Amino acid sequence: MLKIKNLDVSYGKIQVIWDLNLNIKDNEAVGIFGPNGAGKSTLINAVIGLINNIDGEILFNGENIVGLSTHQIIKKGIALVPQKRELFPLMSVKENLKLGSAYIPSAKNKTDNNLEFVYSLFPILKEREKQIAGTMSGGQQRMLAVGRALMSSPKLLILDEPSIGLQPSLVTDLFKKLNEIKKEDVSILLAEQNVRQGLKVINRGYVLENGRIELEDSVKNLSSNEHIKKSYLGI
Amino acid sequence: MSFSLKKSYRLLLLLILFMVIIGIWRPNALLDGLQRGSLYAIIALPLALVLGILGVLNLAHGDFLTVGFYLIYMLYSRFNLDPLVSIVPAVLFLILLSGGIYLLTVKNVLKDGHLNQLLITFGISLVLIETINIIWTSRPRNVYTDYAYSAIEVGGFRFGTYELLYILIAVAVLVALQWFLKNTRLGQATFAVGQNPKGARIVGINVNFVYLFVFSVSIGILGIVAGFMLPRTAIFPGVGSPFSLKSFALAAMAGLGNLNGILIAGVTLGIGEAVINSIPNYGGWSDIVFFGVLIIVIISRSYRRAR
Repeated sequence: MLKIKNLDVSYGKIQVIWDLNLNIKDNEAVGIFGPNGAGKSTLINAVIGLINNIDGEILFNGENIVGLSTHQIIKKGIALVPQKRELFPLMSVKENLKLGSAYIPSAKNKTDNNLEFVYSLFPILKEREKQIAGTMSGGQQRMLAVGRALMSSPKLLILDEPSIGLQPSLVTDLFKKLNEIKKEDVSILLAEQNVRQGLKVINRGYVLENGRIELEDSVKNLSSNEHIKKSYLGI
Repeated sequence: MSFSLKKSYRLLLLLILFMVIIGIWRPNALLDGLQRGSLYAIIALPLALVLGILGVLNLAHGDFLTVGFYLIYMLYSRFNLDPLVSIVPAVLFLILLSGGIYLLTVKNVLKDGHLNQLLITFGISLVLIETINIIWTSRPRNVYTDYAYSAIEVGGFRFGTYELLYILIAVAVLVALQWFLKNTRLGQATFAVGQNPKGARIVGINVNFVYLFVFSVSIGILGIVAGFMLPRTAIFPGVGSPFSLKSFALAAMAGLGNLNGILIAGVTLGIGEAVINSIPNYGGWSDIVFFGVLIIVIISRSYRRAR
């Protein structure tokens, strides 16, 4: 599905990601864990073409997508739930969701089905479909951002710290939903600081520290890894 | 930056009250002000759109209007084309010209600070003015058509019919613009980009294309304005420049992004100016009143916000 080879990413003269290799198989959920400033968001921005200062290869279904612009990459079947949600605050919930598929040729005729799926996943969005997005609570806006991403029938769903700024009960809820989404025909790339919750969703994980991959393993081995336990789980 | 399509009922009521009072006191000034104000509004609308979506204040806005004037004038003097017919080629030419200028200049400063954007559009403004000066010299020119001076008389009160067209065009352009934003694919994309460019990118909207589209079509609208204004306006290379400032003033007065508000603000200021002009020997005060009203509105708005 997604294969990243020898990726270097810089902001101007400052290199943030060093020689990174990563791959995601079909229908696999992969986590990237790491502290603040490790380069998780930078990696994601590089994948979806929001950063251009890139060396290396990013292959999506065998095709190199480095150098394409964001809207072209999104149309190939990658959807993003950004850290800051990036909704359209003056539009209603439903309008936001519909924009999620309106500009994706492959998802346009599935709008009604996808809308139904999103509403079944997050019933609150159906209740509030006429509410203006900017007036909703942070947790609801996060759900809307996830819903909007799902509207495009993505093959790869990227989530950038979905737990950030949410109260613990909502985080648990959201990760339950991610497990439901996993049952659909979609791969997931989850960047998280909340490793404890993240481990409940993923099949395999990478640990990213100071712009380098320090560790890659299955979820089982990661949970018992000493470094993970000490630095991320506080055991 | 965002822009809303909200209805401004309260302001509209106030404006109607204001118009009724002026209408009783000085009916001529009311008509003069309505057409003046509508003109300001249609010229300001595209500027406000570019300001709201791209976040760029285009100081060359009025000079693109001048380019439209001279193009239509040339078609009139060389091929004897009626200015209203020339609107079509003028709009097309302005779209191409401004699209080209956008790609060569403005596009590259979108991510820079506002100062760079102002400098580059100021530069474009000077280049346009001087190019026109070289080709057509600074001699004032005008176009004569019969219909522009037709008048009708109602109840012993005589007024020109042609100016009334300005009001219709202003309303038509506003309605068309709102319809476009609400009901078309590209319009919704434009609306989305205006609210959140990054959000628009990640739903697959080609934001760079939307920017190009908004910039060039906004300037294209000026071609329509130029065609209707030319029969009643003597043109010279600097004729459009004051409109850049006045348009920005209207956009600021309406509140950034409030499209309906621009029509209301335009008509208010237009009538204000016309009333001053109708008082003998005080015509020179009209600009002072225009910007005086603007300053009062902006101060009162920031005062309300501060409370």
